[in-house]
Amino acid sequence: MTNFVYLDYAATTPLNPDVAQRMQGAAFANPASNHIAGRQSATEVGRAVAQLGLLLNASSASFVWTSGATESNNLAIMGAARHREHRGKHLVTMRSEHKAVVDVFRSLEKRGFDVTWLDGDSSGFLAADKLRQALRDDTQLVSVMHVNNELGTIQDVAAIGAICRERGIIFHVDGAQAAGKIAVNLSELPVDLYSLTAHKFYGPKGIGALYVADDVIIEPMMFGGGQQRRLRPGTLPVALVAGLGEAAAVAAERLDDDHRLLSKLRERLAEGLLSIDGVSINGPEVGGYAGILNVSVSDIEGESLMLALEPLCVASGSACNSQSKEPSYVLRSLGLSDDAAQSAIRFSLGRLTTMDEIEFAISHYRGAVQKLRLLSPKPQSAA
Amino acid sequence: MSNDPYNEIVREYFTAARHAGEIADSPSGYFEDQGLRLRFTAAIDDERIKSMRFAAWGCPHVIAAAEAVCRYFEGQAVAELDKFPTAQIMVDLAVPVEKTGRILVIEDTVRSLRAAIHDRVASNKQD
Repeated sequence: MTNFVYLDYAATTPLNPDVAQRMQGAAFANPASNHIAGRQSATEVGRAVAQLGLLLNASSASFVWTSGATESNNLAIMGAARHREHRGKHLVTMRSEHKAVVDVFRSLEKRGFDVTWLDGDSSGFLAADKLRQALRDDTQLVSVMHVNNELGTIQDVAAIGAICRERGIIFHVDGAQAAGKIAVNLSELPVDLYSLTAHKFYGPKGIGALYVADDVIIEPMMFGGGQQRRLRPGTLPVALVAGLGEAAAVAAERLDDDHRLLSKLRERLAEGLLSIDGVSINGPEVGGYAGILNVSVSDIEGESLMLALEPLCVASGSACNSQSKEPSYVLRSLGLSDDAAQSAIRFSLGRLTTMDEIEFAISHYRGAVQKLRLLSPKPQSAA
Repeated sequence: MSNDPYNEIVREYFTAARHAGEIADSPSGYFEDQGLRLRFTAAIDDERIKSMRFAAWGCPHVIAAAEAVCRYFEGQAVAELDKFPTAQIMVDLAVPVEKTGRILVIEDTVRSLRAAIHDRVASNKQD
């Protein structure tokens, strides 16, 4: 029995039991080995490729296995920028991207690339006109995340990709919060590179993938073997790959059911939290990813709120950033004040979340806010 | 390895801050700085601090430290307010170095309370 209520599914998800079972039974040999055991592993990998291809409706030859979305993002952005740098050094992304994208662009800036950082609107959406205005003759790459990890904003990647296609610009999408959670059709979307990771959709940690469209060439970041079209050398972790494949298969089967469940839970959570004085939603109130709800509350200190919320497991800002006491840069990019940003709490719901947990979360949040308001000094003049 | 930023004392004092509140019509010290707001009030009886309360807007270390301060000074002579136990609080609550400034704000608030008590005593004598 757990002694906490887990509402941090955007940070990571528990391993699905069917996935664990598949991993335990996975072949062990090197799939590059030319013997029976190696071929069994290669078959296992092929099955995972097909399962992921079905989830994302993508050609099965287009995936590169990585250690997770951070590596996929690094490989995609660095690889594309380096491959095309002789044509131009202008790159475009958003300020509200995950650190695994932001820091790659910062690194490229230090290497002489010119990066344009775009802001979204008050809900985090990128306007097509804003993107068009930012593009130049020497722009080589645009990178935008599909579902924002803090806000749940779903970008219109079809529209953004179409603009990039018109101009022959490579379009990378960080799909870490989208793959396995919302419908993604890479055969139809004008996307060149798509990053994902298994542990965000009930697969194992330590395995991710980068989708590379057929006609797209990127430079490798690592060297040492010919595996995976020389883009990511090294012996494949067959059990992890099999786990990702199984998680993709389960996700494909459950996509509609998950969406229905999460929509219902989020609606109740939003209704309950908004009934508390001073609470407001950050990001889209409707039309965002149903598994994420980010709220701020007036005149409450964020760090104390986090402690008062225990045993709720929620996030203050992005999970990777939760040790930092700085207000979330994503929320500040929406124009939130430091006070509003530092009181922000991200609730992220998942397949195992129950309505009882949502009711507990509402009541516990209300109690925490009341407690901290009672502790606060009255204004000086009223003392 | 624990990555819990709060030790047991901080957790206890934050969760059950029995000195939280304000004492009506009593001397009060108030300060706001470093992103926190703090008020101490104290009931004085014969140069001794009969009871002391705090109201705080700040991080868990600040709330726990304010509670610790009330526990420390309650029952002591008013003159003891001049001897703020900064080092002891830092150690007992395992306050991170980057929050030292906040503990100094608490010290300033206690000084402000001491001044308010002094003013109240002087005013009572004049009456």
